Amino acid sequence: MNGMRLAIDTGGTFTDLIVEDSQGQLSFYKSPTTPADPIVGVLKVLESGAKGQGRTLSDFLGGSVNLLHGTTRALNAVLSHKTARTGFLTTEGHPDVLLFREGGRTDPFNFTREFPSPYVPRALTWEVPERIGADGSIVKELDEARVIEIARELADKNIEAVSVCLLWSPINHSHEERVGELLTEHLPGIPVTLSHRLAPMLREYRRASAASIDASLKPLMSDYLSRLEGELNNAGFSGRLLMVTSNGGVLDAAAVAAAPILAINSGPSMAPVAGLHYALEHAGSSTAIVADTGGTSYDVSLVRDGHIPRTRETWLGDRIYGHMTGFPSIDISSIGAGGGSIAWVDDGGLLRIGPESAGADPGPACYGLGGSRPAVTDACIFLGYIDPDYFLGGQMKLDADASREAIERDVAKHLGIDVETAACAIVELATEKMVHAIQDVTVNHGVDPAAAVLIAGGGAAGLNGVKIAERLGTRRVLFPHTGAVLSASGALLADLSANYTGPAVTTSADFNFESVNACLESLEKKCIEFSEGPGANSSSTTVKYSVEARYARQIWEIEIELPAARFKDKDDVDRLIELFHKEHQTIFAVNDPDAEIEMLNWNARVSCRLHNNRQASQPRMTSLKGGKRSRMVGFNPRGRFETAIHPIGCMITGQRVDGPAIIESNFTSVVIDPGAVAELLSDGGLMVTIDIENSMNGEK
Amino acid sequence: MVVNATHEKIDGGQLAISQARLEAIVRKMTNTLFRTARSGVINTGRDFSCCIVTAANELLVTAESLPIHVMIGPDLMATKMREYSPDIRPGDAFLNNSPYHGNSHAGDHTLLVPVIDKEGVYRYTVVVKAHLADIGNSVPSTLFANATDVYHEGALIFPSVQIQRDYRNCEDIIRMCKVRIRAPEQWYGDQLALIGAARVGERELLALGEELGWDYLDRHARQWMDYSEQSIRAAIRKLPKGTVTAANAHDPMPGMEAGIPIKATVKCDPDNELITVDLRDNPDCVPYGLNLTEATAITGGMVGVFNSLGPGIPANAGSCRRIKVLLRENCIAGIPRHPASCSTATTGVADRVTNAVQRALADLKDGIGMAECGLGIPATAAFISGKDPRRNNEAYVNMITLGQTCGAGTPWSDGWLTIAHVGNGGLVMRDSTEIDELMYPIRIFTDRIVPDTAGPGRRRGAPSGEVEWGPVGGSMEGIWSSDGNTYPALGARGGGEGAKARQYKRERDGSLTPLGAFDHVKLDAGESVLGFSCGGGGYGSPYEREPERVARDVVEGWISVEHALRVYGVVVDDEGNIDGDATVKQRAVASTLSR
Repeated sequence: MNGMRLAIDTGGTFTDLIVEDSQGQLSFYKSPTTPADPIVGVLKVLESGAKGQGRTLSDFLGGSVNLLHGTTRALNAVLSHKTARTGFLTTEGHPDVLLFREGGRTDPFNFTREFPSPYVPRALTWEVPERIGADGSIVKELDEARVIEIARELADKNIEAVSVCLLWSPINHSHEERVGELLTEHLPGIPVTLSHRLAPMLREYRRASAASIDASLKPLMSDYLSRLEGELNNAGFSGRLLMVTSNGGVLDAAAVAAAPILAINSGPSMAPVAGLHYALEHAGSSTAIVADTGGTSYDVSLVRDGHIPRTRETWLGDRIYGHMTGFPSIDISSIGAGGGSIAWVDDGGLLRIGPESAGADPGPACYGLGGSRPAVTDACIFLGYIDPDYFLGGQMKLDADASREAIERDVAKHLGIDVETAACAIVELATEKMVHAIQDVTVNHGVDPAAAVLIAGGGAAGLNGVKIAERLGTRRVLFPHTGAVLSASGALLADLSANYTGPAVTTSADFNFESVNACLESLEKKCIEFSEGPGANSSSTTVKYSVEARYARQIWEIEIELPAARFKDKDDVDRLIELFHKEHQTIFAVNDPDAEIEMLNWNARVSCRLHNNRQASQPRMTSLKGGKRSRMVGFNPRGRFETAIHPIGCMITGQRVDGPAIIESNFTSVVIDPGAVAELLSDGGLMVTIDIENSMNGEK
Repeated sequence: MVVNATHEKIDGGQLAISQARLEAIVRKMTNTLFRTARSGVINTGRDFSCCIVTAANELLVTAESLPIHVMIGPDLMATKMREYSPDIRPGDAFLNNSPYHGNSHAGDHTLLVPVIDKEGVYRYTVVVKAHLADIGNSVPSTLFANATDVYHEGALIFPSVQIQRDYRNCEDIIRMCKVRIRAPEQWYGDQLALIGAARVGERELLALGEELGWDYLDRHARQWMDYSEQSIRAAIRKLPKGTVTAANAHDPMPGMEAGIPIKATVKCDPDNELITVDLRDNPDCVPYGLNLTEATAITGGMVGVFNSLGPGIPANAGSCRRIKVLLRENCIAGIPRHPASCSTATTGVADRVTNAVQRALADLKDGIGMAECGLGIPATAAFISGKDPRRNNEAYVNMITLGQTCGAGTPWSDGWLTIAHVGNGGLVMRDSTEIDELMYPIRIFTDRIVPDTAGPGRRRGAPSGEVEWGPVGGSMEGIWSSDGNTYPALGARGGGEGAKARQYKRERDGSLTPLGAFDHVKLDAGESVLGFSCGGGGYGSPYEREPERVARDVVEGWISVEHALRVYGVVVDDEGNIDGDATVKQRAVASTLSR
């Protein structure tokens, strides 16, 4: 595999590019995202990349074999209601699947938020006369004449896409398939998503939601991807365009156009892929917490025993108030907290952070762009974590006085404390919110933070990454050299991969070898087709099987990796049962070894390796100048003292720096608290080790 | 975090930080219980609550807990536990489901675990409460309105009984439960989940005390409650002074054909920043399972106040200081006397009390209070039981959580579609048809909203939910206690009432036979129950509803074109096109007529 590989991540603010040359060396480029037409931003960043490599764009692109692309295009379309006009077909008697959802509410006494609207309005919902029972039997035959009528009504309503979710279709898909055929015949040219094909799993709301989101994205994503491919080809690219998926892998653009729900978490899903690589490479750990700090959001994901946990409960927008994708995806939870979050004091005299954010415009008070309210960044400026004269490598001058004034006026005065104490409290409360976001994820997956390494990415990661680790009891924090472009760097490491699911409901007491093995066989067949099709030229292929299982009468399943691809005898089943009890104990701290286990959905994940996993020694960014060599920095609670400032370009590999210290790079400023030690890694990353016993965390 | 000297006041920055730490612990308990419980009521329905009570037996922190479960009750039970068991030690756990000893109703099993530090000082009580699928009642339901007394109700009652010592089960109690509670393995799974969640809370609190210092945490608790009290005082200060009485009635029971009148007198005293809810002028305890417990009577009143004041006031012992709920003994909405049954004490009369309080407050001023939420628990969410022919006739019992709509119009929003009932606050999750049909031999034929059933108003209520269900391949019993068949959810400030609940049996020939509001039926194969929940009441006059909102309701099929015209005075076609001039005229005529 010679030639360059490119990874482009279109985020909310910036479009990032990483170029991996044929020797495995990396270089990074950034260009503003162009929301009106994101392809413009993609081409711009490619031009900077070509320039940086001293080549013309067509020469640069012509020498690239892969372009791996993550984008928030699909997500933004959903959040801004700019998806296709979608019709939803459901089983007769159950028109309100998308309206009712799964119930629940978050804040019992807050009635100021309205009940959320369904993803597809009731006015565009059609009930199909038919019914299949829990055992797959046909309770009521499909009324085909009515389906043909519905096709006409869909056309009359100018529907641009259709989702179909009939009850029990994962067990018996004959009705859904037939509806699909009739729609193809009587509503030609309109894209359709059949729920059992996209997400053959039980729980009708999740399947209906997945199918509807998917259908609604089809026109838009097909258009985007074909235009992108066209523009890239015109510019000289003749390699393979691969899209980053929510599953933590990449797929050919055409495959994503056919199931665009895969692009929902395209981008952020790569952070844990990068995290896994760095955790193994530098910490020898297969368990990591991966945090990506942006200006307005904080994304948390996990690596547990070398696996990246998945979930079906990804919310687009706020939990309960947004839409659940219902589609298996890397588990990433995102909270609205970042450097831009505004600090304020409520009427009762309590400090609050957010939910308002200063964003990039007007930005925190220190930007001097018209924002006057103090943000978390202002507290960092005041405490000396950021050099106001050397922000983003000196690209932007910040107004430290404005930060102090804002904190004093809006926070310190109201709390009756000095600015120093107020600034410390702001950083600490913001840290606490991030810690909670991590704890929610680690609790749900049974990960002990003390046994994990924290991978801190994002431009603001360094400001409180060490503090977060201290609070979690995590002993090591890694700030990767690709931290500013963590998602894009993950894309370079991602495998070409696909997930297949099939239901075969059975129990530990009465294990149905025949149906389970038949299900596994059909999954294996699909994996082989994939590895011989899209995966044909990869260096290696792995297939992993898992089952979603639970104790009898429990509702929520956990995913257990299978010890083998088939069940030969009772011993095989016993081994699975043992693994289940063990996993249940790990995740929930209890198990019930005598209880029966139910198994529902069986999964296979096929991964074809595209890279040589050789992303090791990269040249570091060097020649950082400017900034004072020391300044006064506030370290809560020990007060403020003269602290050494180390430009990262002036450090040598293996050099250790004891906290308190600040290490500055072009894109971030890493605060090394007292009691912590930073070491510069060979690839330019920083590993910070915390002496938990002697850190400030344990002090009273 | 920075912790200052003993005597110092904690500043608002530190207070926020340490409160966040405590809330994180409750969240962790909640996540643990939700994920590990065995019965659908808990692991799908989310019908449970976790909280932390101080060493002074005051409620400190709850997180996403059901309002009716926690505001008052955990404190009463912690008090009882320490009174009965003065030699309490680490590793103990106590079970309380007694209506006479601080619990909400027998169907809620509450587990209390002491948090005792290394020096042996009592620091906190962690409380985990869950509504169980079965508690050994004489009938397979934990909401048994027809129970004439606690003996007829038949539950095993645990008036603060030790269930763990040295972190191990007291097997005597476990055996008692296993022989009495239906689907014992399901119960035991839930019990393990309750214990697991409580132990997570205990462990985390001990670690937090070690880290921040117990003394600091004591000061935190005092200040946090003071802060909460300040925040409710500020809200009450803005209210008009006055006393309002609102009345409604629980549906009739045999021998009480006019229903049971319920009344709440709410005195709003902004000068003293105090709200008093007087529930003493209510009937004596009745020979049914409808009586409230001390915990649910007080909490029922408080929920009405909290719902009415708008968001942002932390609910704990501090804010509750500014709400006085006056009760008397032997009163249906007061303190029950043994052996009165309180089987439905978290719903029925408690919801009537809360509804009356929030409607009374709405009468005081536009912009506060709420209309009435629909009543519970409808036949759409019955307790089902029987033997599962698909699983070697294994016994099953559970509540299906479907069809409970019921949200009330508020000053801020239309009725929340899935509020379930007012004491629940919409926190429960609803079932999936496929999962219900997988778990039980049941078929859910319909599950949808019913047009023109929402209480109209400037902000309308939620419409009724319709669910039809029946057995597959055998027989099935169904039990429900559905208040709101006779007396609907009322509107506030000119808003209208919601539709009433009702239920029918669909015979094999397809015909419908009406069923009782508090009924217990046996269905054979081919028969089903068709249930409807209540609509919620509306807030404010329907003529004040923006025509655009009315038009959207028409397009979305929540109301008909005729309903829009007749009830809202909006002239709109089925495509949502509003005739503005005709609407103005229609509304003018309608308001003249109504004068």
